[in-house]
Amino acid sequence: MTEVSRSKSPSLRVLSHIHRASSHENAVWWMIGAGMLGAALFVPGFLDLQNLANVARQSAVLGVLAIGQTYVITAGMIDLSVGQIAGLVVVLSSAMINGDTSMTLPVAMLMLCIGAGIGFFNGVLLNLLRLHPLILTFGMLSVLQGIIFTYTDRSVGRTSEWLSALANNDLFGIPLSAFLVIALAFGAHLVLTRTRFGYHLVAAGGNAESARRAGIRLWRIRLAVFVVSGITAALAGLLLAGRIGTGYPLAGNGLELDAIVAVVLGGTALSGGRGSVLRSLAGVVLLACISNLLNLLEVSAYLQMFIKGAIVVLAILLNQSRKGQA
Amino acid sequence: MPVLEVSNLSKRYSGVAALSDVSLSATAGEIHAIVGANGAGKSTLMNLISGTVSPSSGSISLDGKNVRFANPQAAQSMGIATVYQEFSLVPQLSVARNVFLGREPRNRFGLIDPARLMADTRALLSKYKIELDPAAEVESLSVAQQQMVEIARALTYASRVLILDEPTAVLSLREQENLFSIMRRLRDDNLLILFVSHRLEEILNIADRITVFRDGRKIETLAAAGSSISEIVNRMTGRERALPKQPAPVQENAESYTIEYKSSGDPQTIRIRCGEIVGIAGLVGAGRTGFARSLAGLSGRNGAVRIERDGKTLSLKSPRQAMREGVVYLTEDRKRDGIFSGLDLVANATAAALPDLAQGGIRNRRAERDRAASMLERLHLVAASLSLPISKLSGGNQQKVVMARALLTHPKLLICDEPTRGVDVGGKAEIHDILRGLAAQGTAVLVISSEIEELLSLSHRILTMRDRRFVAEMPARQTSEKDILMAASGAAPAKETS
Repeated sequence: MTEVSRSKSPSLRVLSHIHRASSHENAVWWMIGAGMLGAALFVPGFLDLQNLANVARQSAVLGVLAIGQTYVITAGMIDLSVGQIAGLVVVLSSAMINGDTSMTLPVAMLMLCIGAGIGFFNGVLLNLLRLHPLILTFGMLSVLQGIIFTYTDRSVGRTSEWLSALANNDLFGIPLSAFLVIALAFGAHLVLTRTRFGYHLVAAGGNAESARRAGIRLWRIRLAVFVVSGITAALAGLLLAGRIGTGYPLAGNGLELDAIVAVVLGGTALSGGRGSVLRSLAGVVLLACISNLLNLLEVSAYLQMFIKGAIVVLAILLNQSRKGQA
Repeated sequence: MPVLEVSNLSKRYSGVAALSDVSLSATAGEIHAIVGANGAGKSTLMNLISGTVSPSSGSISLDGKNVRFANPQAAQSMGIATVYQEFSLVPQLSVARNVFLGREPRNRFGLIDPARLMADTRALLSKYKIELDPAAEVESLSVAQQQMVEIARALTYASRVLILDEPTAVLSLREQENLFSIMRRLRDDNLLILFVSHRLEEILNIADRITVFRDGRKIETLAAAGSSISEIVNRMTGRERALPKQPAPVQENAESYTIEYKSSGDPQTIRIRCGEIVGIAGLVGAGRTGFARSLAGLSGRNGAVRIERDGKTLSLKSPRQAMREGVVYLTEDRKRDGIFSGLDLVANATAAALPDLAQGGIRNRRAERDRAASMLERLHLVAASLSLPISKLSGGNQQKVVMARALLTHPKLLICDEPTRGVDVGGKAEIHDILRGLAAQGTAVLVISSEIEELLSLSHRILTMRDRRFVAEMPARQTSEKDILMAASGAAPAKETS
């Protein structure tokens, strides 16, 4: 592509430049831009501040999950257990707090530790057994689901006012949870792009053998990304509990796939070695916008599933076909 | 004083000796070449010195002190740098991030400083006159450029010993020259350079001393000055080298292919007759592989090809179609798109012939095995078992298996891209024999090679490419390496072919 564009006339060069800028990695921003523009023009109520804040609140849980999943996928792995970690946290935290606000901090700490612990366990098993992470974390998904349902098959307890406020309230018209996710994302982005850990994580995902030869300890990277993923999953669970208000045992179902889709929409390669936290967040926003638009247009829930699935596949196809050309 | 001393070193793999009782001493400020046929123990020795594997017995000492390396990092931290034969780069990352992978510069907050990473890389590259963009993604670079990244990477920590395992196999002439000047410069900085290569001419040109290996044993260390290629080859093989063979003459009335290629500028037409071997010379980046890939229907990105056989136009829009018309391409990059590394020899050899071998879509293992066995035997492949995974074979033997796959599809026009890259002297001669034999049976053979010597001895005619155009056509018998180099580099006003 570069060779060809060099020999073209200036105007063609500009065109091919635009094409390239709009291609692969940054496609998600273009899609959001185009989608927002279309929505603003044709869907009344979309640009309403209240509605946009709503979109942001809805994005928060998935946003936190997508941050952890970006690390995992960039490192060349995958974590299917995050949805059920979040689900476990929703049930446990609601049951333990049960409306007692003073319990919020200790329980939240405990939940983050549980998330980290499950992630650590995933990482250790991965290193010891050398199983494919897809299989391993699918097993963990199933185990956690079993634990949740052994504990309860109906909603238990009540979340605290603080968690509920964090998940639902605004500051200066902007949702608190949006502040949290954005701060977290920038922190995670900094770690990925400016620290040795981040550099080595990307390298390990790109070519594990090359990374090993460069003296990078793969087991440490693998362990660390699963711990990060477990912690973010637990945090997402706390936010989710705040939104739902009670310990609903099915709360986490399917979240892991939404998180993976958001990450891939953001241009992170499923094969590892390429990834950006900020673009994953854009992927989350894109997904939330689609849902929101379909709601505003009063599309039936079943049809929504159909449309969302089709849009996601199309968007990723667009992403890939352009990457192939470049 | 010797910087590196190896005494009575042996390495056995499950009882089989890969290296037996080798003693060797090399001094700082010397370029020490290691030569030998495949399986002679060169790579094993390099792996032992670089800490990749540990010895079964014997010892290694660096600067007079006994050392034992638990892993490659231990050797690296003592200033032993290795440029591996197979690349150890991360393709998705930039040149700079690859060069400093594992030792990125950090600022006082412990964060990586991307600007300094770029600047350090730029400084390193310009110090050694390596022309590369530090920000370029490694994936987007040519194989030769990737090799230079690999070398730059080793230079960041080579303080005592630099090990180069066949570094020039993929480099263009200019890059080779540059690498040699880097090597001389490091020698003057008092480094020891261990240099493994199959190209004896360049070894005589650059090395100070040469150690010859055969069958896992050290045969002799010679001074490069005053040695000749035939002396070295005799020690490598233990026998005299035969004279280069001639390709059989082409029949006057043979069928022929007319290939019209349009990439940059006007379309050009070349012809090749059945039974003819046509060499394609050119520097790396001249567009030889692009032409070959277009021709074989692999990719239209590098220009359009129109091909006729005796006036009948062939449509080759995919490798499948091309193969059906008997046009087969043998890749220059075995590891990436040649072998199925996890599969055994039979599966690798018969992969393209399966439609032929499977009756009604049901595989016939015995037929596959028979067909593979007879073809591999014809190619003189020596392997313990046909059930071995192909990754266990040497480069030369892997090449033969990949060739077997092509030959089992009965090609009428065979395009071989660097058929002897990473193949030792003996294997090379055998592959040349195979190609000559094919031509004698009426196959048209196009050979792309960076070794002009190879093209001169193998082909009837040699076409030279530059900037994605054919710039010269010469009969192999009446031309010299120099003529071709001049045409390839644009040093002389070469006459364009029609």
